[in-house]
Amino acid sequence: MLLTRGLGASPGAAVGPVVFRAVDAIAAAERGRPAILVRHETDTEDVAGMMASVGVLTSRGGLVSHAAVVARGWGKPAVVGAEEIEIDGSAMRVGSTVVVEGEVISLDGATGEVFLGSSGLLEAELPPEFDTVLAWADEIRGRTLSVRANADTGADAEIARRMGAEGIGLCRTEHMFLRPDRLGVVRRMILAQDPDEEAQAIDELRRVQRSDFTEVLEAMDGAPVTVRLLDPPLHEFLPRPEAVGGSAAAEAHTAAESGSDGDGVVDRTTAALQQWTEVNPMLGIRGVRLAVLKPSLYAMQVGALLDAVADRTEVGGTPIVEVMIPLTVAPSEMVAARGWVDTAVGEVGFGVVPAVGTMIETPRAALLADEMAAVSDFFSFGTNDLTQMTFGFSRDDVEAVMVPAYLARGLLEADPFDTIDTVGVGALVADAVRKGRAVRPDLTVGVCGEHGGDPASISFFVEAGVDYVSCSPYRVPIARLAAAHAVLNGSGARGASV
Amino acid sequence: MPLVYAFDHRHRRSPKDLKDILGGKGANLAEMASVLRLPVPPGFTITTEACREYLLSGWPASLDAEVDRHLADLERSAGRTLGDPVDPLLVSVRSGARFSMPGMMDTVLNLGLNDRSVSGLAAVSGDVAFAYNSYARLIATFAEIVHGADADAFGRVWADARIRAGVGPDAHLGPDAAAGLCARFAEVFEHENGTPFPQDPRLQLDRAIRAVFSSWGAPRATAYREHEHIDHGLGTAVNVQAMVFGNRDERSGTGVAFSRDPATGRDRPYGDFLVNAQGEDVVAGVRITEPLSAMAERFGSIHEELLAHMRTLEVHFRDMVDVEFTIEQDRLHLLQVRVGKRTGAAALRMAVDMTADPDIALSRAEAVGRVSADHLDQVLHPRLARVTARPRRTPTWCC
Repeated sequence: MLLTRGLGASPGAAVGPVVFRAVDAIAAAERGRPAILVRHETDTEDVAGMMASVGVLTSRGGLVSHAAVVARGWGKPAVVGAEEIEIDGSAMRVGSTVVVEGEVISLDGATGEVFLGSSGLLEAELPPEFDTVLAWADEIRGRTLSVRANADTGADAEIARRMGAEGIGLCRTEHMFLRPDRLGVVRRMILAQDPDEEAQAIDELRRVQRSDFTEVLEAMDGAPVTVRLLDPPLHEFLPRPEAVGGSAAAEAHTAAESGSDGDGVVDRTTAALQQWTEVNPMLGIRGVRLAVLKPSLYAMQVGALLDAVADRTEVGGTPIVEVMIPLTVAPSEMVAARGWVDTAVGEVGFGVVPAVGTMIETPRAALLADEMAAVSDFFSFGTNDLTQMTFGFSRDDVEAVMVPAYLARGLLEADPFDTIDTVGVGALVADAVRKGRAVRPDLTVGVCGEHGGDPASISFFVEAGVDYVSCSPYRVPIARLAAAHAVLNGSGARGASV
Repeated sequence: MPLVYAFDHRHRRSPKDLKDILGGKGANLAEMASVLRLPVPPGFTITTEACREYLLSGWPASLDAEVDRHLADLERSAGRTLGDPVDPLLVSVRSGARFSMPGMMDTVLNLGLNDRSVSGLAAVSGDVAFAYNSYARLIATFAEIVHGADADAFGRVWADARIRAGVGPDAHLGPDAAAGLCARFAEVFEHENGTPFPQDPRLQLDRAIRAVFSSWGAPRATAYREHEHIDHGLGTAVNVQAMVFGNRDERSGTGVAFSRDPATGRDRPYGDFLVNAQGEDVVAGVRITEPLSAMAERFGSIHEELLAHMRTLEVHFRDMVDVEFTIEQDRLHLLQVRVGKRTGAAALRMAVDMTADPDIALSRAEAVGRVSADHLDQVLHPRLARVTARPRRTPTWCC
């Protein structure tokens, strides 16, 4: 329901509960909740609250009022001068409608419309100049840096392509496992009591992965798709311990379809949880370590990928795949992984062995880059994990609480998870690139952490000689632009700090 | 190195490239005054260097003498003297950092008024109410900014005076009520600050400059810089400028204008304008503004002059500019110019359009450089699912 209209002061849409004081917007943000800040007019005392809110609504003021200027500067959706609104303490009135604090409204900062209730959000409509400017940016960027996307599904890959991605730099396979219709099969594999049961589950997974990969390869036809084999610890696929015996057990039972009694499933789930639950999962059994314990897993994934390649080739497609091994710390792991890939290739009877590379996300792998390069066709720096492990910062525990305190006291110049730490993590990356290329001059080097979409970091990666960055589909245009800016500025490291 | 430069000082480099020392506002004022010879009220800029020195080790030794000299020059070119009981010069004292920090820092207006010069202003303007309203504004902002007094104390007295005079929030008080308000404000000032409002204009200026320097370190300014990743060590310049009055009469006014539409990028000037008002009224959004087209009706030739100046500035800066202007009794004055902030969609459109504009002739590389990651982020933003085809409500920016 259209509540009222004001001036569209800063485009973009926001949906959230209303608050009437800056401090309430800040409090909501601290709880991770969205809030729309509603004020008669804003002044400098409201700035922190505006920062914290998802959108701003004022009842007075024009397009150059404080609220409008500040919101526009930040790209924060804002409607100003909605004169029908009367604010009274913790409620606002528009005609006979009263909206109390916490009630949800939706606002459109382009049209100035304000709706009562939650309105769905639509994908952005790109102005015609968008493609023109990005085409110019691509001319400037030339072959300096390629931009790929992180995409796990055919739909994501399509968006990535539309955003100008030149390939997929990170196709995570675990999200395919987490879909509701897959999860049961994954659990059955984990809970399997004998090799036959496990093989059966693995076969089933191979079938579903095959169709997943086919979708992605179709959307990215003719461009490289780097598939990362399973990375997360197995307990992430199991029900939470407190849920075992409840609905999750019933779910596992259904999933198991084994005809065994429910208690058996519960017992096995409990046992599996005991086996796989970790004190420190970030540094636990994940990535290639998992494959060492369950080698059939990676062989299955590679098999599924090759099946998909065959499917696409059969219908005239041009699939280009690369296999990426996560979390390695030693060349010997890569040798083992290559063995699993070769086995799968042999089984499928494929003539071509896909490129097999490693993620560089542990400091040790970076330090041994020359040896890693000898057994890898490419490197992809997973800078999220590399930053966590180089700093010894658990992102989940540190970023929200400690990083702001460090920034405020000047102990850090920037959040290293936002912008690459050039002198520490960045130096590790640059050295590893150098060492790797010394052994294998044609080594392809990518970055697939979130830094791949951060302009200042991109500037650094250009300088470090990285071939491509890979980021979320909607960051792809920003990465294309940032790479052009890096070329125009003539230097990479300028924008990066720490 | 001098710590003070007149706006019309002939710098060896283009002043717009001297933002490091003159601040953004001061550099562009100098560009308008010394290079483009546009109608800018005379004034001078105290450099960011002076601010940095003040914040680090106290008031620079040479600063008093330099301010004295530039003030004397300013008085000469304005033909008026600060605090003169017959025809006083009034100045504004504004911050101006290297990077724009909208509304983050302090401004003192009408500086130079005191119990004596207020009657001079009343006589010269022929408007007693205007003179006392201006004086009241000075006393209140001075208390707030220089002494950190509670604005509410003045707000309550003001509200009282309006109620007793029976005028609305947008109207000025009549002569007697305004004079009475000044007397009450002077009492509140002394009560709040334990010291009377300074009558010596040079002392007013000294304190205002210190206050603007110090406002660089205010929590809200610090928070803004943190959010915008602006270096805390830059400091702010201070601009002292002869006041012109948009609130003098119905042949006066003030506004903010953009050389292109900052929301859409459309090549058409857009702006907000108020008749008989001071700049703060536009920016604070306290009064409902009129579109530039309203200005064309009331001030035809001045409207044209403004558009011509904006085009000159746009071509000179080779970018969309926003201009703060004041009309004082049918004379146009430009008070500020800067490259205007814009939405992502507008940034894209302007960048592309300006490659085709023969006077601007932006290169493709420059066009790409004009678009930031944030701009792209904005156009990639989601919109509400319920789309309406209706145009915006009575757009105030049409002209």
